[in-house]
Amino acid sequence: MTPDARAFEADVKSAVFRLGETDGRWRLLRTTWPTAVIAVTARDGRQFVLRFDLTGFPDTPPTARPWDAEKDTPLPFDRWPRSRGGRLGAVFNPGWKSGSALYLPCDREAIAGHDNWRTEMPSKIWRPSLGITQYLELVHELLNSRDYAAPVGAAA
Amino acid sequence: MNTIEVFYQGEQIGRVDHLEIPATAILADVKAVIVSKHHCADALLFLEDGEDAIDEQTPVGKIASATGLKLHVHRCRRIDVTVTFNNDTVERKFAPGTTVARVKRWAAEQKFKMTPEEAGEHVLQIVGTQERPAPSAHIGTLTSHPACRIAFDLVPNERVNGAADEGA
Repeated sequence: MTPDARAFEADVKSAVFRLGETDGRWRLLRTTWPTAVIAVTARDGRQFVLRFDLTGFPDTPPTARPWDAEKDTPLPFDRWPRSRGGRLGAVFNPGWKSGSALYLPCDREAIAGHDNWRTEMPSKIWRPSLGITQYLELVHELLNSRDYAAPVGAAA
Repeated sequence: MNTIEVFYQGEQIGRVDHLEIPATAILADVKAVIVSKHHCADALLFLEDGEDAIDEQTPVGKIASATGLKLHVHRCRRIDVTVTFNNDTVERKFAPGTTVARVKRWAAEQKFKMTPEEAGEHVLQIVGTQERPAPSAHIGTLTSHPACRIAFDLVPNERVNGAADEGA
């Protein structure tokens, strides 16, 4: 096992990650290094699955995209969470890099070229000491905000 | 033997720690395990978002939920909390096991009269820092005895703008 894989394995055994699972906020579905598939619960109980690329964890920030866990493919855009015009829509943006990453400052793909974020929103910059729960807490907050709306493709 | 999962936060403990305890245990047994690990014999036990320290003779099985028990360990019985927004400061004493989420709701919705939508667009930031504790964090983790106080600013949760113009 590589050092980054060992670090992630220890991270998901930590009390703070397990507390999130116990509370039903997120759930690790599987790890196939260097990827991990984690479901995050929205305010209506829907679970949105993210596929993380964790190469270099935790020194290198992770990157994640919405994922269809059953088909093991990227999640179709009509099943992405929707925004009511607030913060969520900027993060879950299918128009950015073809939906291959979330537009979050703690995401490896998003932070590239956005050094201004380090001073404008330092609390959202990736911190290796906080581990994967930093990313998950930011996503969980968005999916449980009043800006969240169910996907277009969701049953009524 | 049935066991109960106990997640706890506290003074100088870090983010969250965890132990498993027999379902027949009392809180004094839980405290003994925590004291042996963290050397905090003079601390009190609190339930998450509870108002007062709890009786250590209480059976764990009586107060645990289906998913376990959330506790806080701290020498302060109360934390003096101030929250400042638009140059207006409100203050109140909370138990150290109070979550940051509960303090924010109190300040934003009860004191500053925000709607739940407006409150959702704001977060608590520790005064003089860029630290924004997670909603699930207990305020006792942010201060120590004998200070027993913490000051927050209520600030907008920044929106990440500009993605539509890039890399599409």
